[in-house]
Amino acid sequence: MVDQALLSLAKFLPEITLAITFCLALLVGVIFRSRPRLSMWVALLGVVVSIALTIREMGITESVFSGMIAVDPFATFFKLIVGSSAIFIFLFSLYSAEVLSTMKRLVEYSSLLVAMTLGMYLMVGATNLLMMVLSIELTGLSSYVLAGYTKEASDSSEASLKYIIYGALSTGLMLYGISILFGLTGGAMDIYAINRALVTSPVNPIALLVASLLIIAGLGYKISAVPFHFWTPDVYEGAPITITAFLSVASKAAGFAMLIRFFKIAFIDSSAVGLPAGIWITLQGFEWNKIIAILSVLTMTLGNLVAVWQNNLKRLLAYSSIAHAGYMLMGLAILSDKGIAAVLIYFVVYMFMNLGAFYVVMLVSNKTGSEDIDSYKGLGFRSPFIGVSMVIFFISLAGLPPTAGFIGKLFIFASLLDAKWIWLAVVGAINSVISLYYYVRVVRNMFLRDPDENSGPLKFSVPEIVLLLLLVVPTLLFGLYYSPIVDFANASARMLGVH
Amino acid sequence: MGSLLLISVIKFVAYVSIVLVTVIMLVYAERRVSAFIQNRLGPNRVGPWGLFQALVDVVKLLLKEDIVPKNAYKPVHDLAPIISIAVALSTFAVIPFGNTIELFGTQVKLMIADVNVGILYLLSITSLGVYGVTLAGWSSNNKYSLLGGLRSSAQLISYELSMGLSIIGVLMVCGTLRLDQIVLHQTTYLWGWLPAWNIFLQPVAFFTFFIAAFAETNRLPFDLPEAEPELVGGYHTEYTGLKFGLFFLAEYANMFTAGAVITTLFLGGWHLPYAEYLGLSPTMLSILQVLTFCVKLVLVELFFIVVRWTIPRFRYDQLMNIGWKVMLPLTLANVLVTGAVMLLIQ
Amino acid sequence: MDSHAVATGALYGYRNQKSSSTNNFFESSVTLETFLFYTLGAVSVGSALMMVTRRSPVMSALYLILNFFALGGLYLSLHAQFIAFIQILVYAGAIMVLFVFVIMLLNLGDEKKLNERFSWKKIVGAGLSFGVLMELIFVFAFSKANLPPSHFEKATDIGTVENIGMQLFTTFLFPFEVTSVLLLAAIVGAVVLAKKKLN
Repeated sequence: MVDQALLSLAKFLPEITLAITFCLALLVGVIFRSRPRLSMWVALLGVVVSIALTIREMGITESVFSGMIAVDPFATFFKLIVGSSAIFIFLFSLYSAEVLSTMKRLVEYSSLLVAMTLGMYLMVGATNLLMMVLSIELTGLSSYVLAGYTKEASDSSEASLKYIIYGALSTGLMLYGISILFGLTGGAMDIYAINRALVTSPVNPIALLVASLLIIAGLGYKISAVPFHFWTPDVYEGAPITITAFLSVASKAAGFAMLIRFFKIAFIDSSAVGLPAGIWITLQGFEWNKIIAILSVLTMTLGNLVAVWQNNLKRLLAYSSIAHAGYMLMGLAILSDKGIAAVLIYFVVYMFMNLGAFYVVMLVSNKTGSEDIDSYKGLGFRSPFIGVSMVIFFISLAGLPPTAGFIGKLFIFASLLDAKWIWLAVVGAINSVISLYYYVRVVRNMFLRDPDENSGPLKFSVPEIVLLLLLVVPTLLFGLYYSPIVDFANASARMLGVH
Repeated sequence: MGSLLLISVIKFVAYVSIVLVTVIMLVYAERRVSAFIQNRLGPNRVGPWGLFQALVDVVKLLLKEDIVPKNAYKPVHDLAPIISIAVALSTFAVIPFGNTIELFGTQVKLMIADVNVGILYLLSITSLGVYGVTLAGWSSNNKYSLLGGLRSSAQLISYELSMGLSIIGVLMVCGTLRLDQIVLHQTTYLWGWLPAWNIFLQPVAFFTFFIAAFAETNRLPFDLPEAEPELVGGYHTEYTGLKFGLFFLAEYANMFTAGAVITTLFLGGWHLPYAEYLGLSPTMLSILQVLTFCVKLVLVELFFIVVRWTIPRFRYDQLMNIGWKVMLPLTLANVLVTGAVMLLIQ
Repeated sequence: MDSHAVATGALYGYRNQKSSSTNNFFESSVTLETFLFYTLGAVSVGSALMMVTRRSPVMSALYLILNFFALGGLYLSLHAQFIAFIQILVYAGAIMVLFVFVIMLLNLGDEKKLNERFSWKKIVGAGLSFGVLMELIFVFAFSKANLPPSHFEKATDIGTVENIGMQLFTTFLFPFEVTSVLLLAAIVGAVVLAKKKLN
């Protein structure tokens, strides 16, 4: 057992790097007290190294630490997404006025970001119920604190408090569901063992339904699915922008990865192979697609409808990210390999466009100190480059060609239509149209309204512009040249233990 | 089976009565020893050499009026001294007073309960002692009491950690959680002549445990929570009569317990070195061992008392400083070093 | 409350002293266990009910402590000694102390009696709890528990410290180490949130 653990260490290098970086960032911050930025650079370096190590283990499909964590293409894909978002967030934080105004706590900021990334790395690979809970807790704890980071602002503390309470409640519900599932399947904590137990001796469907609904409640909280989304607007609005961006992309990605993996391994009959279009058969004939489809419709619709009324840009983007979670759930509702591949593609493009939108909000907030839609009046004239980038990001978020967002939605709708889920596709299309309204509202403010008299042009430094380019270019590029992403996603939809 | 139950009951009754009497004697001892240190006579009027003084004090407390402040939260106000004394007395259940003896044909262990997680039991019960103090401070509706209660609880939980970690060192050396096994482990001899008492094997742990025991029993130099000049009376300001008596008794019972635990864990318990060479009959040997335990206990208690009347008290921030920044790293280092040494020796 | 713990310890110790079991002993142990189970169960349910119905937060906390004690006793009756004492040590002895601390420092008064008579919240809440209760009973009464064979010969061996330690450092080594990272993140986070500027 112990030798196996030692062997597993070799496949576990990215997470080890992150753990070392966490401690190193803290130590560096303590030793070099007068230069807190040093720990941020150390943390950034650590995350970069961990991404390099993740790329190195791209082809491996293995279970490490006696079944606790799986290292497979699926996990690697999501680790890359989470890691890249973390790198972007660190770069954002270097230029964020909010973060830099609290120099004294910068060390803890960097180390907690690294801890959060580590938690997400563990989340995407967890194949044991215990590891699932632990990794959710690690991510959650770090994000509760980071949400309340600018604690002098009252809405930040409020955000943190709400997040903690919701998180504790959802984790409690999830643990309850896990305990019922544990009992039903005869003491199996490994999700493969759960699958085997469910296959060999079918259990009471009502009990299984209750257990799964509770676990979905916990996971749905992480991905902000309705009706577990109530924390999202307040937390996204109150937390510092960099943290909001991180939560909206990486936390959602990790939550989705865990949800998909849990579903695929535990509740799908893996012996039914060779079916057309890789459709999955659920154990005991459970109607999971209906349940997930309902969740998806609720999420999309609520996200889009409420976003229409928002005036605070962070809150608007919060509801928009809820809606995007709904689109991704559509891909899951199909319960087929194609759907999963579509979700993976969507995540790649979502990362770029969402991070980009939040970055622009951060830049504007740095200079004007406000996140209100009204303060975006005439932004297109005060700072053309920022205005145009924002337009590109919003068009991508709405899903219009020739941006990457269109590709994401295209693949999701294509897989929906392939699986004959016409009504869901129609709902999705209507929701995209509704989302166009609130995105274009901001664009209208930026380009069709004159700026206030006493506001001059906004100047941004070169590194900030370069960072923005790093986000704008992929958003446009992947709208036209998307085959590498598609191939990568198709290859990554394979999970450990599944063919 | 009936005889076992009977033996248990006898042990229980014997223990409780012995402990209560001893605690009362401890009060008397403190007063006499402190008088000796301060070059005066202590109580010497009531009974021969004033031996009945403590008893008379308890009777006096019983007869005093029980005053409860008007806005005090009465249920909790009544509950707090009960928690204190119950916790203080419960710890004795696992202390072995002597070796296993043959009585009426059955093996009888000289401890009330041979719990196989004895050390954990000790730590759990000790950690419950915080409630007596905290609730007493809060329920009195008096800011001095509240402050004293909160300070005391903070001090107690801080030093609990060091206490637990010191015990980990003993646990690693003896390899068992059972207290009678720990004492048996200490009956061997190192290098043929030195009894393997944990004070020799784990000197750092002994040192830190002793200090933590001072803090846990609210004895000087850690008695700021009840220091008269600073806090009027601390958490037991508003208590009169028997309830105050219970707190008073609980403090000395805690001291007695701490001494008993130190004796058991570090000083070899009932072990009298080279006693087996004396060639005595088992019964005599057992009696001698029980006496040894009592002598060691008395020595430890005397040390407690002497320290109280010799050293000035710590300021509160110094106290917390020591608890977290000195004791905790020291005990953790002790665990590390013990582990390393054990690994090397093998 | 503590005499109960001592009595349990005394009776437990009494049981340990007798290594061989006679028929009489077995019968009486079954009765003892059943008696303990019902008493501890009643205490735990009762204290939980009292905890949620008290108006004073300190009394609620005290009832919760009593509940943890009862749970610890129940764990003892299931031969999980380690968990039982860790429950008392950690939950009742450390976590609840902090709860009580905070309640006292915040000086929370008694909850005021609310004037509302009819509220949808109560109806929905009651309905949901009833539903959960029904589901619990359903799950436990009507589903098969297909438990895997245990590694240990005697049930009493599962809860011992040695065996828990062995499992913790071999099978569950990885979650154990991850928990340490989790604790470090929690400590750092707590300091960040709570630290006040000294100047």
